[in-house]
Parts: sequence; C-alpha cells; structure tokens
Amino acid sequence: MRAVSSIPEYYKIVEEVFEKYKDEEFLFVGRYSQRWDSIEKIKGRALFTADFTKLYSNLVYVHSVRTKHAHALIKSIDVSEASKYPGVLRIITAKDIPGINDVGYVIPDQPLIADRKVRYVGDIVALVVAEDPLVAREAGELISVEYEPLTVITNPLDVVDLMTLKEKPHVLVHDERGSDILVHFKIRRGDVEKAMREADVRVEGVYKTPFQEHAYMEPEASIAIPEPDGSVTVIASTQCPFDVRRAVAKVLGLTLNKVRIVVPAVGGGFGGKEDVANEVAAKAALAAVFTGRPALALHTREESIIGHSKRHPAIAWYRHAAKRDGTLLAVEANVVMDGGAYASLGPFVPWRATVHATGPYKVQSARVDVVRVYTNNVYAGAFRGFGNPQVIFAVERQMDRLAEELGMDPVKLRLKNILRVGDETVHGQKLTEEHGVGLEEAVMKAVEASNWFELRRKYSEITGPVRKGIGIALFYHGNSIGVEGADYSSVTLIINRDGSVTIRTGLTEFGQGSTWGLALIAAEILGVPPSYFKIENPDTSATPDAGPTVASRATVMGGAATVVAAYKLRKRLNEVASQILGCDPDDIVIRAPEVYCSSDPNRKTRWADVIEQSFWLGVPLQEFGYYRAPRALWDEETGQGAPYITYTFGAVVADVEVDVETGLVRVNKLYTAYDIGKVINRMGAELNAEGGAIQALGYALMEELIHDKEGRVSNPNLSTYYIPTIKDVPEIIPLWVEARYRKGPLGAKGFGEPSFNAVAAAIANAVAHAIKTNVAELPITPERVYMMLKSRQT
Amino acid sequence: MSRVSTPRGYRDTYRDIEVSFKVNGREVRVKVKPYERLLDVLRNKLGLLSVKEGCGRGECGACVVIMNGKLIPTCLTLAVRAEGSEILTLEGIAPEGKLHAIQKALLDTYAMQCGFCFPGVIMASKYLLDKNPDPTEEEIKDALDGNLCRCGSYLRFIKAVKLASKYIKEGKVFFDESEVMR
Repeated sequence: MRAVSSIPEYYKIVEEVFEKYKDEEFLFVGRYSQRWDSIEKIKGRALFTADFTKLYSNLVYVHSVRTKHAHALIKSIDVSEASKYPGVLRIITAKDIPGINDVGYVIPDQPLIADRKVRYVGDIVALVVAEDPLVAREAGELISVEYEPLTVITNPLDVVDLMTLKEKPHVLVHDERGSDILVHFKIRRGDVEKAMREADVRVEGVYKTPFQEHAYMEPEASIAIPEPDGSVTVIASTQCPFDVRRAVAKVLGLTLNKVRIVVPAVGGGFGGKEDVANEVAAKAALAAVFTGRPALALHTREESIIGHSKRHPAIAWYRHAAKRDGTLLAVEANVVMDGGAYASLGPFVPWRATVHATGPYKVQSARVDVVRVYTNNVYAGAFRGFGNPQVIFAVERQMDRLAEELGMDPVKLRLKNILRVGDETVHGQKLTEEHGVGLEEAVMKAVEASNWFELRRKYSEITGPVRKGIGIALFYHGNSIGVEGADYSSVTLIINRDGSVTIRTGLTEFGQGSTWGLALIAAEILGVPPSYFKIENPDTSATPDAGPTVASRATVMGGAATVVAAYKLRKRLNEVASQILGCDPDDIVIRAPEVYCSSDPNRKTRWADVIEQSFWLGVPLQEFGYYRAPRALWDEETGQGAPYITYTFGAVVADVEVDVETGLVRVNKLYTAYDIGKVINRMGAELNAEGGAIQALGYALMEELIHDKEGRVSNPNLSTYYIPTIKDVPEIIPLWVEARYRKGPLGAKGFGEPSFNAVAAAIANAVAHAIKTNVAELPITPERVYMMLKSRQT
Repeated sequence: MSRVSTPRGYRDTYRDIEVSFKVNGREVRVKVKPYERLLDVLRNKLGLLSVKEGCGRGECGACVVIMNGKLIPTCLTLAVRAEGSEILTLEGIAPEGKLHAIQKALLDTYAMQCGFCFPGVIMASKYLLDKNPDPTEEEIKDALDGNLCRCGSYLRFIKAVKLASKYIKEGKVFFDESEVMR
C-alpha cells in the first residue's frame, strides 16, 4: 500500500491487518475463552463499588433529599433542624456548591441540587452527610422546603401535537429555555406526496412504546476519597469514567487532573450508568470535600428507579405506501419522544431514531420528523438500542400490516425491499461490499431455522383458547456514535517482563464482556493466548481516555485501537525474534510460549526469551494505540449523508402462544440472526444475543414504568416493576452471519445494543398473527390483549 | 423509611445485643443493634462481601444465604435471628483455590456477565442440589425464580445446574481453579 499523507496511519494499519487475516484460521478470535475476571466473580470476591466500604473505617454517608412535587418552584429551604440532628455532619444545598451546579450529560440543563425549581420526582433539594446512613435519612425528613406547585406535565402530547409537531401552550418545564422541544430531526428524500398519491396501497397507524427501566442488579454507588493534595478520588459504578471526571471537576470547581475516577466491577449498565453516574459521583465528592472524610453515596433500589434515566417512550405516527407488487414507495413518520425532565442523552437518542426511522429498507421517498420533548416524568436517556427499538416496533408493525393489505407473506414483502450491497440507504449512503451487508443472509437463516413458511400457515388455522403466532422483525443499527460526537478510542498495550500482557483502556467492562474482545484481538495479533492477559480497571489517572463505553463501540472502536497497538508491538517483536533465530522478520511465528521460524519450525525460542531480549535491547514493550472513526456526514435539513461508518443487521423470528382466555402471552422460541461482521468474542456475542433478547422480551410483554397524574412513579421497585425471571425465558436460537466490515478490527461490527433491537417487534408481530389483530402498543400485557380481543369483536 | 416519630437519637437507647452463630464453619460472636439486618452484619461486620444488596426488599435474590438449611434473604432477616444458627455464604462453599461444582459449571457454560447476581444464584442452586441432587428443568426454574439476573444468563443457569448435578453425582464436588483458566 502506498503512503498517502492525508490518511492517518491507523486506518492503513487496521485495513492491512484485515487483509492479512481475512482468510486465516483464527487461534483465539471467535473462539470461547474465560474472561480474566471469571475467578474473582465466581468466587464472589470481585469488588463492586459499595464493597469498598470495607477499606474505610471512617466513612460518611450521603443521603439525597428529594422533592415531593414533580413540578414546583422552590420558595425556601430550611435546614436548621436537620443540621442539629445528632450524627449529622453537614447539609449541602445548591448554594454550597463550589463549582457549577450542573450534571447534565450533553447540555447543561440539570442541576445536581435543585435551586430555583424542581422538574421531576427524582430532583434533589439537599444532601445530608452523616455518620450513619439511617441518621442521614432521618435528618433528611427534618428539612422543610416551601414549594409553589406548578401544573405537572406527564403527557408529551400536552407539549406538542403529534400531527403538526407544533408546540402547544403549556406551563414550561424548562422556562429558561423558552421551549420544551429539545430537538427536532428530519429526513427529506424524494417526492413523498407524489409517491403517496401514486401508490396502490397505503397503511397508516400510531404506535406507542413505554418508559423502560434498566434494572441493573447493582444500584448506583460512588465512594469519594479526599486526597492530601486537595484532589479527589472517586470509585464509581459507571460506563464512562472520563465523563464522570468532567462532571465532578465541574461541580467541585477543580481542574480535571485533580479528579480521579476509578471503576471497579460494575453490576450492569445497559446505558443507564452513563449519566446518573455523574450525579452520584458528584454527591459523594461534595461530601468528601466538605467533611474531609471518605464518603459513600449509595442508591436504594427505589431511588435508582425514580432517579435515573429510562428508555424514551415514543408515540409514532407512520404512513407507508407501496406498489401492488410490494415495492415500498414512501414512508412518512412523526415521532414524539418523551424525554422527561432533563436532556440526558436526549440530544442524541432521537437522532439515532431518525436515522433508522424507515427500517433497513430501500425507501425512495421519505419524510421523517422526530421531536424530543421535556415533561415532568423521570428523565429519559440511553438504553441498549438508543432510540432504534421504538422506531423498529412501529416500522415492523407497519410492514406486517402492509403485507396483510397486499395479501403477501411478511417475509416475502421484506425480501423485496431490504438493503443489499449496492443499495442506497434512505440517507443516500451507498452500501458497498466494504461495509459488510448480511441482512438477506440473516433473514434466510432465521426463516429456515424457524420453519417460517409452514408455521405461518399452520398457526393461522388454530382456534380455541390457546392461539399460536409467528412473527418476524428486521433492523439495521449504525455502528458507534456517528455524528453524535468525537468518535475515538485508545488503548495502551504493555508486555510485562515475564511475558504477561496488560491492557489499559478507559473502556469499561460492566457485564457484557465489552473489553474482552480487545484482549482476544491483541492475543491473535501478538500470538499469545488470552490467559496471558489482564485488563486493568479504568482509572482516569492511569488508563487512556477511550471515549464512553456506549453505542456498542468497545469492540469496534477499542478493537481498532488495539489492532494498531498490537500491530506495532508485533512488528518490533518479529525483529527481535529474527535477530535471535536468524530468519526473516516476516517469517517469525509466535505461538506463545513458543516462537519459531515458519520456514523451519525447528529454529525456535521461547516467548519469554524474546521479551527478555527485547528488554535488554531497549526495544519498547509498550505501545499506545489510537483510532478515530472516519467522519460521519449528516445534513440537518434533509437527513442526507452517511450517518454511520457501517451497520449491524439482523432478523428475529418469534414463536409465541396467546391464551385468549387469560390474555397471557408466552414466547416459546426466539430465532435471532445477526450480522455482526467477524465474531470476535464468541462468549460475549452469545451472551448479548440471549441477554438482549430477554430484556427485550420484558419490553415486549411486561415492563412499563408508570407515572401518576402528579408525576409520581407508581411502580418504583422490583415487585411492581416486573422484569423477566428464569420462568419467562424462551428457547433462544442464536444464528450468526459474518459479513465483515473491512475497516473494522478484523472485520468486526458492533453488537451490544443490536441484540435488543428487533425482539419486541418480532414478538408483537407474532402476537398480532396469533390473535389476528393490530398490536399498536407495548408492553403486550394480559390487559392489553384483552382490550385488543374485545375491540376485534365489536 | 417512614417519617421519624421517635425521639432524636433513639437508636442510642437500644443496647447492643451479642449474637453468636456459625458462619462458613467458623464460630462468630458479634454485637448488633436489634434493628440491624443480617445483610449488613455479614457484609460490614464479618466482611462477607459476596452477600449483595440489590433491592433491600427480598425481591431480587442477590443477598440470599443458607441458614440452618434454608435459603433466606438476608435483607429481610434481622441479625438477632442468627443467634445459634449455622450460615453458609458463597465464601464458604469451596476451599481456597478450589471451585465448587456449581461454580465450575457456571464457568463451563460461559454464564458470566456482570456477576452481581451470581452469589445469590450459586447459593440458590446449592440449596436446590442439596435437597434434590437430580432436578428437572422445571425444578431448576422453580428454585431460581427468585434470583433476578438482568444481564440475562438464565438459560446458562439451567444448563449449569444440570452440569453441576452431573459433576456431583460423579463425585466431583471440587475443582482446582487452574483447571478453568487456561
């Protein structure tokens, strides 16, 4: 390859490595392996944030006093009685904050401690720091706040009109902004009106999806330790240590190098531990600074449910138009997303929804408008799928209804319209071989494995109390963060003197194996088994900033940075080995613990010896790898461009039964066929496929955070907010398509979020098939099934 | 937590109670307040950090241990109830450097995700296999229905309990840790 100065070296390395390995049999990549943290976790020894309390005997506890109103002006706060309560060390209100009182993730709209007004029931009005957690709580009850209640907005359609998307007159949640519409994204392509007129068939509908709670098993926690030099260390349960550092520094008024965030074992995140971690870490840090003692901020389950972001609910109006033969002509959509009280990831989630709003299909003409509004509900932010599942539900229901209208099989209709190599997306992005486009293969795999055509016909004929249905849903999912922000990643790879390997990265492992792929990639390129590796916990003072661990980007982006570092190290090691063995550097094979010449395997040495020799020769045994995604393109007015570097594709088939007497839906089987490019971490891929499907099954059938008219959460614990248990889980058949992304690490694409995307839509389509009615709202609870059956009869 | 209706600092009026029990084969004697939860005493006073708090309401199963042969949520159990009892936590199910068959089986089936629910899942599985060495799939589901796992490793749990049952029947109760990490 000839050097072109404008193309960064790291692109060339990633592509060179892709070419080198594309026909090779992998030693570690794509195979099963035990993660480095397996033993500590299986023995129960892994330390999660709250477990660090054992290290600090003089810990203080932070309790958050939250508002009793979802929307009110704060007239006054009296903390005098609480301050006198025995055991209380300090009460902190907004005026005490030394830096800037804001923990907003993307835009500064979210005070850490409410000062002027409260906007939802999770808003904090004061922090109590005490010797004992119970004392802190009791003292919190003695804080009296005088409120002037305002009208509570819980329905996003009180903020905008679904059809005109115009803002309605209402009491503003964010009066300081002058509008409660946070963002409005658009796609404009072709002549939609003409296409609608000329179409043979049109299908129109409104679809609703609920607030979904992450319900990670480990509630939010942070421990802050004041350091002798005036800096603060915070142990935090987060996905994004560098973002937490920024938030804590801002609140404390410190420079970034005076705040250190350390991330221990994290008990699940799913997007939820992006922004709330800022708040929790800042609370602990404030307490530590004010008392000079280590401070613990730990949420109860109820606080967790009330006080952290949720999946955005969406209300989506869609109209599809097609020719008699099933060719899609146009899609029109208005989507209103309820963002609750604060922006959180709200400037980005609706963008991803917009990009994917027409599904993985060739669409000639489209008009899409997506708005995200403020209400007094719990705020909405990131959750596995990030805006995509909401529009997938609407689009895939529409596709099934279109198929019905046309008298076509839903699979055949989809195959007529899906994106293949050479097609343009609705944004005008041409998909090439290089992107890796395996949607058709995924559809075929899911259809064959599920015996689709036979069951679709057979189930249609079932009568009696237990009906059966089979449904399909497809999706595509833009990789990494697109135009949302600076899309970079970095790792430091260190070969220690004994030959063991250390990986340092700011990417965070929070359960789904996000960083293990990095070890497997480095293992493959260096030629040493994964068991040689340790991945350090993220520590902003030691691990390089790799961007946030979100958007299924760890393997793709972190993996690419790892390729760069491992490639450079391997090159140097080959030269050292070549000196030892006397064969060409390109002839060196590393199969740790052995190193030999490919042309003459008897000429061999040990991995440990190559490392020792490198040490004495002064050959650096550490390397920094950096990778930045190619810039994405997006025209704000038309939604045209190339929004993502590539796409993950998938098809999910659900096989369900519905008891028409009780309304209970049971999912029997899920066939999940995903094109994730080259599978790097097989264990991680399978676990994501299963885990994402189970979360999405909850989304489809039982999960819905409910607010009453006053904005209070009606189901703030796990006995009223239901998540799937072991008894709800169907048989899950994972199927893989590996259409490799040429610019990804060894051809990989992202997969954390896509595992969630289409499952609920497939279940909904299966239920619709079983009971022969439209399913327009999630979750499909027995009550809703009853209502659907009733409306069908009348 | 309800509104404070007792006088300030009322907890100081409660005397410490000395409680003796056996945990993981070791005799312990701890001073506890009458309102203290067994969960907090195990974690904070005895350093048994495998016992996790996921909800504090007996809804998630992360804090379950085996007490006198019964599986109990320690978040809903007062520490004083432990008097004279025998408690087994995850720390006590296998000797140092060894894995219990259930732990080995969970790794063999690649069930590991965040690991926060694992202590509870392992204790519930142990409780099941102690009573019923050869459980059916339905019995496994019944036994683990109280253990929430949001990462969604449920299907692996079923496979792992079956595998552990097989190991134990073959007389293989403990495994070297090094057998797993290769």
